[in-house]
Amino acid sequence: MTSAVELQGLSKTFQLSSGWGRRRVRRDVVAVDGISLDVPAGQAVAFIGPNGAGKSTTIKMLTGILHPSAGEARVLGYTPWKERRALVRHIGAVFGQRSQLWYHLPPRDTFELLARIYSLDRASYTRRRDMLIERFGLAPFLETAVRKLSLGQRMRAEVAASLLHAPRVLFLDEPTIGLDVIARQELRDLILEWNRDEGLTVFLTSHDAGDIERVARRVIVINHGRVVLDDKVSALRRQYLGSKILSVKFHAPVQPLVLPGVTTLKAAEYALKLEVDTRVAPIEQVMAAVLRAGSVADIAIEDPPLEEVIAHIYAQAPAGAG
Amino acid sequence: MIQATRKYSWIALTAARSNLAYLSEVATRALFLAVILYIFLRLWQVTYGETGAERLGGLSLPQMLWYLAMTEALTLSAPRVAAEVDQDVRTGALAVQLIRPLDYPLARLWTTLGERVVRFGLNTGVGAALALLMVGPIAFSPGGLLLFALALPLAFTLEFMGQFLIGLAAFWLEDTSGLMLIYSRITMILGGMLIPLELFPPAAQPALRALPFSSIIYGPARMFVHPDAAFLADLLLRQGLAIVLLALAVALVYRAGLRRIHSNGG
Amino acid sequence: MIKRFANYLGLAAAYTRLNLGAQLEYRGAFVSQVAAMILNDSVWVVFWVLFFTRFPVLRGWNVADVITVWAMAAAGFGLAHAIYGNVLALATLIAQGQLDVWMLYPRALLPHLLLGRMNASSWGDALFGYGVYLAFVRPDLAHFAMFVALTLAVTLLFVGFGVLTGSLSFFVGNAAGLADQWRFAMITFSTYPAVLFEGAIKLLLYTLVPAGFVSYLPVQALRELSPGYALLTLLGALGITAAGVALFYLGLRRYESGNLMEMRG
Repeated sequence: MTSAVELQGLSKTFQLSSGWGRRRVRRDVVAVDGISLDVPAGQAVAFIGPNGAGKSTTIKMLTGILHPSAGEARVLGYTPWKERRALVRHIGAVFGQRSQLWYHLPPRDTFELLARIYSLDRASYTRRRDMLIERFGLAPFLETAVRKLSLGQRMRAEVAASLLHAPRVLFLDEPTIGLDVIARQELRDLILEWNRDEGLTVFLTSHDAGDIERVARRVIVINHGRVVLDDKVSALRRQYLGSKILSVKFHAPVQPLVLPGVTTLKAAEYALKLEVDTRVAPIEQVMAAVLRAGSVADIAIEDPPLEEVIAHIYAQAPAGAG
Repeated sequence: MIQATRKYSWIALTAARSNLAYLSEVATRALFLAVILYIFLRLWQVTYGETGAERLGGLSLPQMLWYLAMTEALTLSAPRVAAEVDQDVRTGALAVQLIRPLDYPLARLWTTLGERVVRFGLNTGVGAALALLMVGPIAFSPGGLLLFALALPLAFTLEFMGQFLIGLAAFWLEDTSGLMLIYSRITMILGGMLIPLELFPPAAQPALRALPFSSIIYGPARMFVHPDAAFLADLLLRQGLAIVLLALAVALVYRAGLRRIHSNGG
Repeated sequence: MIKRFANYLGLAAAYTRLNLGAQLEYRGAFVSQVAAMILNDSVWVVFWVLFFTRFPVLRGWNVADVITVWAMAAAGFGLAHAIYGNVLALATLIAQGQLDVWMLYPRALLPHLLLGRMNASSWGDALFGYGVYLAFVRPDLAHFAMFVALTLAVTLLFVGFGVLTGSLSFFVGNAAGLADQWRFAMITFSTYPAVLFEGAIKLLLYTLVPAGFVSYLPVQALRELSPGYALLTLLGALGITAAGVALFYLGLRRYESGNLMEMRG
């Protein structure tokens, strides 16, 4: 399988200066610190990390906007900052909060303009456009001014617009931000579908755990400019399956539970929420303790939500990296 | 080359169509222009009456009012390029533009021209209706209007370049709105929006003609009320020269800005 | 009565201090807004100077008289909206049902409500008005004292006119657009010498668009140092303000009776 995106020790150091004249101080801030990656063509990758981790700096280098201080990168065989003009015809980008659709005009007009901007051949453009209209369900609002569309409709048109020139890599930055539950799922399914059926390489950044779980098969976590985790999304859960969340409701008030390996997340008079480290305290043992503590009305055992897993990884960022 | 022409002319067309959404502003514009033009009408009626002159600065009273209607239409139709470029620089939208196979300054120029044609058309319609109502028509000829039309594209381009440069200053300045205000006010005064250049103190006139501001407002408005092929040739020369100089400045500054984006991310 | 007035002045001073403090939190932005307005106003002075260099007299008025018109309009308009910034927002406040908040205070509604906001750039107008009068007209003490007194009357006029136009929202839905345009006509006519106009328009300038109380009467008062014209200016300001206040409280009754509820969505 060929690589769509390949990074070798990619680094970026910003020079910040403050003060004036003689007191002017320069200091270097390392935003990206030697990232190496290989994303095969057709893979969907979630690229995540806390704010300021270096995500957007990396994406800007991959799209040729920003020049790196050190390291190599190849996107579809092009070195982005040297061959930006050639590269941009083959990549697409959707920035959740930055629309490329013309606000006062219907989506169709933006499509027509994009066809000219990318100098698309008329026949293949028409074919591609009609397919996108059908698959993204744009027909009902194709002739409606963008300002009158719902956010969900707008984002669907937005993603379709970025696929018009048949890019081979799609960069998506927070594509579902602000969308309601249904619109979010629709958009995720569309992106996934395109990834599976058309072999589109997807590079997704998001803070939404649902986006990551649904769309990506691989997750790359970066923090302080370094890759702190690079694994399958399914493995992400498994790694943290060592812990369980136990929610218990009682018929009568209970005393707090004290056991090694058990952390109380929430405690009310009639209810407890516990995080159990099953390597220290086997779940049967904890259940027994709970049943002894009082008359149980209801009980639920869950895996920790992905959001917490991610927060946990962020918190464990390597010391001395920042 | 042909592809590039198609690309940018389509951008202009799209911008023009998008601005038709502002048709509803016409009513507001009409009142604004009506008040201003009526006051100017009275001011110049009184002035022509008191001086007893048939022509002032070479213009009759009706010509003077049509001149002012045209300078207002020109000034009011100037798109807010500086503010938009400033925003693009600050929000990083300019950087994102680099992901498209487009040249940012050219795309902006054509967007502006498309937008401007619509706005100028609407303002001229309103201004002409009012001037007709107040002083009646002046001598128009198809040839004269053609000469006037020839004075416009470079005037619009020149105005665009000044504003574009100010917008690019956002790479280095915290706030460019002050700079823009100074630019627009200087254009109003030195460009002859309120008084034609002929009525300025004679000593100042050669310098004012040499400055680009008069090529943006005074030149086209004067062509409108007083078409003159020799005047047009001179105007086009001045406009062309100013555009070459400003284009050089734009290229330099834009390149410096790009370097900043490439090293700092914008 | 006097006690109540002094008490109100205390309230106004407190609001102005507070509003100014809030503006100065963003000192750079505040200063540049003020400077921008001064620059903007200067354009017109340049225009008039250019005009009068070529045509020294306009219906008996010289350049100093016309600059006085501008100084009067700018100082009055500036002071009015620097202190009573909510005058400009009144139409919107009414339409959006935001008077409710102000009705909870144990204060007379209208004079209190108007103090709620400061229009920063109006300080530029005010500074420009007094500055250009001092620098350009170079008045003696008597003229300057009269100028200051007249600007206070003109301030009252602008506040009253703002209340009058803003209160239209009680009767015709959201009248913000209409109020803006009416105000625009008022400001524009206020900055050109009223001697230019005759007939019906002249009548308009003392009724619907009461710019004559800015661009003629006070300037005439200063030209002749005439208490008569000064008194007429004050009477005009009081009349417009009375009309504005009356319309406001008339509309308020509709507001309180809930007849406007449907437009608050």
